[in-house]
Amino acid sequence: MTVNRRDLLKAAAAAGALNLAWPLATGLSPAQAREAAEKLGAVYDRAPFTLGVASGDPQPHSVVLWTRLAPEPLAAEQDLPEVVEVAWVVAKDAGLRRVVARGTAPASATLGHSVHVPVDGLAPGRTYWYAFTALGRTSRVGRTRTAPRGKVAKVTFAAANCQAFHDGYYAAHRGIAREDVDFVVHLGDYIYEHGQVGGVPEAHVRDHDGPEILTLADYRKRHALYKGDASLRAAHAAHPWFLTWDDHEVVNDYSGTGGGAPFMKRRAAAYQAWFEHMPHRDSFGGSALPDPEIHRVRRWGDLLELTVLDLRSHRSAQNLPDGTILGAEQKAWLKKTVDRAPDSWHVWANSIMLSQLRGRPGGSYMFTDQWDGFLAERKEVLGHVHASGLEDLVVVTGDWHSAFVDDIRTDFDTPDSPLVGTEFTAHSVTSGAYSPEWNAKNGPLMGKANPHLKYFEGNRYGYDVYEVTPERFSAHMRVIGDRRDPNSPVSTLTTFHVDRGKTGSYEDDATKASPAQYRRD
Amino acid sequence: MNLVVNGDAESGPGGSAEPVTAVRGWKVVQGAPALVPYSLGGGYPTASDPGPERRGSRFFSGGNSPRTALSQDIPLPWSGPAGRRAVDAGRVRYAVTAWLGGYAGQEDGARLSVEFRDDQGTPVALSVLGPVSAAERGGRTGLVRCEAEALVPPGARSARVLLVFTRSGGGTSNDGYADAVSLTLSAAGGHR
Repeated sequence: MTVNRRDLLKAAAAAGALNLAWPLATGLSPAQAREAAEKLGAVYDRAPFTLGVASGDPQPHSVVLWTRLAPEPLAAEQDLPEVVEVAWVVAKDAGLRRVVARGTAPASATLGHSVHVPVDGLAPGRTYWYAFTALGRTSRVGRTRTAPRGKVAKVTFAAANCQAFHDGYYAAHRGIAREDVDFVVHLGDYIYEHGQVGGVPEAHVRDHDGPEILTLADYRKRHALYKGDASLRAAHAAHPWFLTWDDHEVVNDYSGTGGGAPFMKRRAAAYQAWFEHMPHRDSFGGSALPDPEIHRVRRWGDLLELTVLDLRSHRSAQNLPDGTILGAEQKAWLKKTVDRAPDSWHVWANSIMLSQLRGRPGGSYMFTDQWDGFLAERKEVLGHVHASGLEDLVVVTGDWHSAFVDDIRTDFDTPDSPLVGTEFTAHSVTSGAYSPEWNAKNGPLMGKANPHLKYFEGNRYGYDVYEVTPERFSAHMRVIGDRRDPNSPVSTLTTFHVDRGKTGSYEDDATKASPAQYRRD
Repeated sequence: MNLVVNGDAESGPGGSAEPVTAVRGWKVVQGAPALVPYSLGGGYPTASDPGPERRGSRFFSGGNSPRTALSQDIPLPWSGPAGRRAVDAGRVRYAVTAWLGGYAGQEDGARLSVEFRDDQGTPVALSVLGPVSAAERGGRTGLVRCEAEALVPPGARSARVLLVFTRSGGGTSNDGYADAVSLTLSAAGGHR
């Protein structure tokens, strides 16, 4: 626990000064707001690389490097030339002496002075280090890794989701930064769009910078605020990331289609700001900004095929007989991906729960914003998985702010229908879960109502680490002790395994006695 | 010189409210647009509604699809005052304009974006126009002029123009409208 920071927050609150101090009160310039934010624990890297560095979308010979120049991270406009030349370097060592690639990229004000550099010509399965230089300053050094080719004995990756800034510090990202993983998958709700929540410091450790965000300038500031948590920047700098998104990158429970002009304008602003702040490789397909193309399939040698899904951009409204969560084109692409799948583990990065979830026996679906609101399409996709003979499917999911393990069946209402895979829904990084009382009461109810549900735990926060070998897929649920503590230690709550060639998961004997609110014995 | 081919919807198939499968100069990415004559009536924009002063005979609409998207990939000039050397020296600016609109109080809309790309296809600059809300049109059927301009970043080699029409709510007709789409380069500027 960082006593000094909490004492400072309490003292500020007691003095009635919190609204002046945290973080963008009316009347404060961006620089003053940043200073106030830093006094209260939002630490930024040295300007102009305040938001850090990142890498993403690793492939055998290529990875995307990212940074954004933001000397005043919470300013709507940066006091910078319209275009700034940013130099980048990639090396085989952390000291950046054995350079393998270098170049320059333009950072345009039209893209928030962000740069996305796809570095090609790299060797497969190698660790590299990189940095940027601009305006006479050099960024921190980031580390990245290319995907291997050919025979691979092991891959380890982490999955994070749902990181409401006000709900806690990112001790989970601190843990991810320290993990020995090949890559990280972010499953969405990277930011939240709503206004201030208040209640700092007793109910929340910190707060949003202002009211609900609507414009490009608003979304830029919000992303910059979230990157004010040093642990998030550390996790980005430590590993390459794959990214998808959920609803709060734009607004709660939105459908990507069917909105009126004001909403479509807002959506475009949110999408552009998301691109500007993520190590995302774009424009390899038929679209263009401000509609980033999220879905993609990537391979980690012969061991793992990762399919990243976009469950927001192309979805229809919920609960329609012909509704779609994927959109027609992505659905056709996914089915084709299944048809062409190699003999390997198949992981779907899936922002929102695939498995059916009724709240109580005979009750209705808990949330039809998830796949439960798109029944016909789920049945079609899972039926296709079964018909194609796809084996070794693991779906990794976020959104729920609690951990679930589910058997994936082609028809969830028919418990003896074909079992086609396992879904691991990970704890959230910080976003608030239900109360322990709710979890204790409803865990068993959900277990009874959903014969495919094997495990539920909702009292903790953290992330998952997946360890994959040719023989076994292991999901380690990493949890933090206290989300109010930025340095909260990480432990492993439990581990589930899936054996290659056998559908269905089982809990590790060593952790079967760990706390949970439902466990199917 | 306008680098967008058929940005005014005057060429090729069309001439009614019926959607077309091909549009001269554009790739139909999604849905099917209609190239509607201003003389059609029936609630569509007319020659007397707000719109480009010299509007020709037709405009783009979203047809009958909930989302209709057209794109156009434009290579930037090799040489000349707005050629590669000038771009790489930071001496070329771009201006993108479009007239975008919709029907009465409805919120169907049209959005135009231009993404500049380097020789690897990586986005290096972006301008987004619209969609124009009913409030911005004063609740009137018609089109509103939208524009943006910026420096073409050094290294830019092409531009992808994306024109998206979105239908709000139910109904059949996608009443996002666009006309007079233009992208021009000028060699007047330098780094600001």
